[in-house]
Amino acid sequence: MIEIHNLTKQFEDIRAVDEVSVEIKEKTVFGLIGTNGAGKSTVLRMIAGVIKPDEGTVAVDNMPVYDNVEAKKRLFFIADEPYFFVNSNARAMEKYYSGIYEAFDREEFYRYLEKFNLDKNRKISTFSKGMKKQLALLLGICAHTKYILCDETFDGLDPVMRQGIKSIFAKEMEERGLTPVIASHNLRELEDICDHVGLLHKGGVLLSRDLEDMKCNIQKVQCVFSAVEDELKALNGLEVLKKEQRGSLCTITVRSTREEVEARFATVDTIFYEVLPLSLEEIFISETEVVGYDIKKLILG
Amino acid sequence: MTSKNSFLASCKENQKRRVWVWIVAVLSQLLLYGGMTMIYLSRIKGVYANGGFKTPNAFKEGMCQAARDALGFSDNLYGTIFLLAAIIGMQGFSYLFDRKKVDMYHSVPVSKDRRFAVVYINGIVIYLVANLSGMVLGTVIAASQGAVNMDVLATAGLAFVWNLFLFLAFYHMMMLAVMLTGNRFVTVCAYLTFVLYEYGLQSQISALKRIFFNTYSEYYLGAEPKLSVIYDCTIHIWNIKNAQNAAAAAAIAMPIVAKWILIGTVFLALAYLAYKKRPSEAAGVAVAFPFMKPVAKVAVAIPVALLAGRMVYDTSYENELLQIAGMLAGGLIFCAAAEVLFDFDIRSIFRHLPSSGVALAGILAIFCIFKWDIFGYDSYIPEQNKVESIAISADGYYDNYWDENQQYLGQGEFEKENMFLTDVSPVLALAESVKGADTEQMGDARPVQILYRLTSGRMAARMIRVDYDDPGTEELLNQIFRTDAFKKGVFQGITDETSDADLTRITYSNGPARAVIPVEEAGRLREAWLKDMEQFDFTLVRHNRPCGILYFHYGDYNQRQWVVYDSFENTVSALKKLEAYYPMELDAADIESVTVTCYHNELSQQDNAVDYDMQPRAVAETWDAGYTDYTVSETFYEEEQIAQILPHIYCSWIDAPWADYKDLDDNYSLEIVFKRDSTYPYQRDNYYFGYSFYAGQVPDFVAEATAYTGESCEKSF
Repeated sequence: MIEIHNLTKQFEDIRAVDEVSVEIKEKTVFGLIGTNGAGKSTVLRMIAGVIKPDEGTVAVDNMPVYDNVEAKKRLFFIADEPYFFVNSNARAMEKYYSGIYEAFDREEFYRYLEKFNLDKNRKISTFSKGMKKQLALLLGICAHTKYILCDETFDGLDPVMRQGIKSIFAKEMEERGLTPVIASHNLRELEDICDHVGLLHKGGVLLSRDLEDMKCNIQKVQCVFSAVEDELKALNGLEVLKKEQRGSLCTITVRSTREEVEARFATVDTIFYEVLPLSLEEIFISETEVVGYDIKKLILG
Repeated sequence: MTSKNSFLASCKENQKRRVWVWIVAVLSQLLLYGGMTMIYLSRIKGVYANGGFKTPNAFKEGMCQAARDALGFSDNLYGTIFLLAAIIGMQGFSYLFDRKKVDMYHSVPVSKDRRFAVVYINGIVIYLVANLSGMVLGTVIAASQGAVNMDVLATAGLAFVWNLFLFLAFYHMMMLAVMLTGNRFVTVCAYLTFVLYEYGLQSQISALKRIFFNTYSEYYLGAEPKLSVIYDCTIHIWNIKNAQNAAAAAAIAMPIVAKWILIGTVFLALAYLAYKKRPSEAAGVAVAFPFMKPVAKVAVAIPVALLAGRMVYDTSYENELLQIAGMLAGGLIFCAAAEVLFDFDIRSIFRHLPSSGVALAGILAIFCIFKWDIFGYDSYIPEQNKVESIAISADGYYDNYWDENQQYLGQGEFEKENMFLTDVSPVLALAESVKGADTEQMGDARPVQILYRLTSGRMAARMIRVDYDDPGTEELLNQIFRTDAFKKGVFQGITDETSDADLTRITYSNGPARAVIPVEEAGRLREAWLKDMEQFDFTLVRHNRPCGILYFHYGDYNQRQWVVYDSFENTVSALKKLEAYYPMELDAADIESVTVTCYHNELSQQDNAVDYDMQPRAVAETWDAGYTDYTVSETFYEEEQIAQILPHIYCSWIDAPWADYKDLDDNYSLEIVFKRDSTYPYQRDNYYFGYSFYAGQVPDFVAEATAYTGESCEKSF
């Protein structure tokens, strides 16, 4: 598990990360969401042990990570712009990383290269941006570290490749307990990959939740009540996050389980009611609006 | 096989990223050593082809010497060592400047220590392999032409050590420069600062001392920097190159190498510390540690401002107001430039004004300290009980000195090593007597250099101006001159008979005549001269001129001069017995002609009056306007006239130490041509010699013959 406690980092006058506390559990895909400048890369770099926090701690499996080789052996960090040696090719990069990560699986690496149609002898400088990201991901996966930290790595990958990488992640998670941590500014990119999401804004964590928990605990109900009393009775005791009224049609977002909502609405007189599924985007909108933020402006643009 | 994760494997992996550095390093060394060896040897062969060597052995020696020059100590290599250290140091650690690289290197499970060690050692390996390749190539070329012997190999080995530690010192400086900065341009600036800072600051401080302190002197204690590697390697290379053999070269080189090791170790330790403390986020910024910015700005602004002030002072004919303006402007411009550099933003020109203010205040403070001598530099005279011994050099005597390796030694250096006056009171009294004195009021103001060796172990040097015409000064100088310590510190080998083993010749000369004395007579002559030297004091040398000089020649080039006065009865008697004594007064029968030149100084001074109290600009303009030549020459052939001239002249080719120059008439000079068939025993190729009239003794007929009539007047420009 990666435990981040009160992590703070300041660059000159700018507080890039402000008392961030998050726990990243093993065998989950953790998504770190935030706008540009929210502090995602800084948090990832601190988790990777690249930069030292001003305050707070990062522990990887209970080991401090900064300047700690043992902790770093469990991590592979893919920066937003991964560095490859000048004039090198995939083979040269494999040689470098296989010399550093003892568990690096060379055969698997070359197998994946073929799968992804990446030429091992071609100069990386001639690769497209997406191909470079694929290569970085494959190097990270084949390093066989417990955690893989991806900073905006999925940006620019086409859907097929994203699906491919997602499958590999799933396989590796199952086979050896890989824990990917993925930072992105785009919520929609993470929706189908992440199990747990942390939302960063202005250096701080707005929320950190399991997606399933979030999905199960927030419900959207569209209904037409027969009378105002029915409405009052139905919503009494429920935490209403959002309510919209168009004519007699009400759209209500409440924090509750589907079963509880259905049970409650069954007891009142409604002309029509339906419990609708929420997208990740809608869940975030609801959650962040509660704490006073307009999520649309933050991550959906 | 090495383990994938072993140190050697890491080194090998790192070397893959340094291919171009390998190519540059190896090529530069191969070209330099190979080229130098071929050029030096071909020069010797050219000389041999033109008959420059009399024997094959001499030719072989010449070839070996050429190989020694090429493979041994050579300042031609300094440029490449300086550059290679910079390139290797920067390329190895410059990944720290690039965030992408830092993200990769600092996230992988490799300890900082190992990465440092790998890059550091690989840098040294690159240099070592390149340098050795060059040396091997040079040696092979030299050996193929029979120009290698043991001394060549020993010197080359020694030079290898010298160059290695020179490289390491520069390499460590560059490493520290990289660790403290975040981009290549600023790194190069920092590297140059480390290399040149002490030398630059020292030279500016010395310049201020020269401008403002009357008693400042570099005669005994030079203003050379103590820790400047670049100064050491450029200054000492000549002594090392000229050493007779490898052992002599080692004796000079090794203490310097030891100092470089010390300096290099300090820089390495600082570089390592900075590496450990350096934040990864410093990649790409100008200065890795923000607290260094004001420190660096102020530290460099001061010498830069002093240099600017000095340049303005020199070009404005020593105008102090402009000097201070130049200093402040230089300081301000540098501070602004530094801020722009720190932020890579021209709008930062006025940022951090407090630190710029500190720099300017420091510059002003330094100016005030020197201008108004705040710490009493000029008035410094140590207390007697705090002085262990003194060396002193009173203006008026110059000689050549050399050390046990037959290497040239400066007079001050010799005196410093050999003169230990323990009766310091006359020197202190002399310094006290001229404290605050106006040298303009002195009859014959002369510089006297003093080296105080204090009981604390510290040394202090001052230059005072004393009046040789003042009886009080004469008495104090007599007390100093009479001591054995003074004589030993001035006349080299005065009591050293062991050096007679190297004696090749003894001669005695009164100017035109020179007698050769058998070397076996050295002991007897020394004994006589030392006995006569018991009467040596300032009064003797000030008011008398030598009747001749004894020259003791050592080896091919070195000689010691022992002045002989008429009152030196023992020496004169010994010379007479050896039939080597020639009186100063010449015989008219030996002389073909005497040409007297009168300069008519009084006329030219009136006509070309230059007021030396004027500002330097006015003096320069006066000189630029040209001058009138009033010189009148007349040649006398009549033996009778010549006989009337001879008693009143003194050979101006004889050094008369400490003698009063006013004893001779500087308005006239004489050129005496001896008869070719005269019996006078000329030992020189010349047959004419320069003489001067004693003051007030110009015969009337000479004065009339050389009177200015206006005919020879001509305007010169």
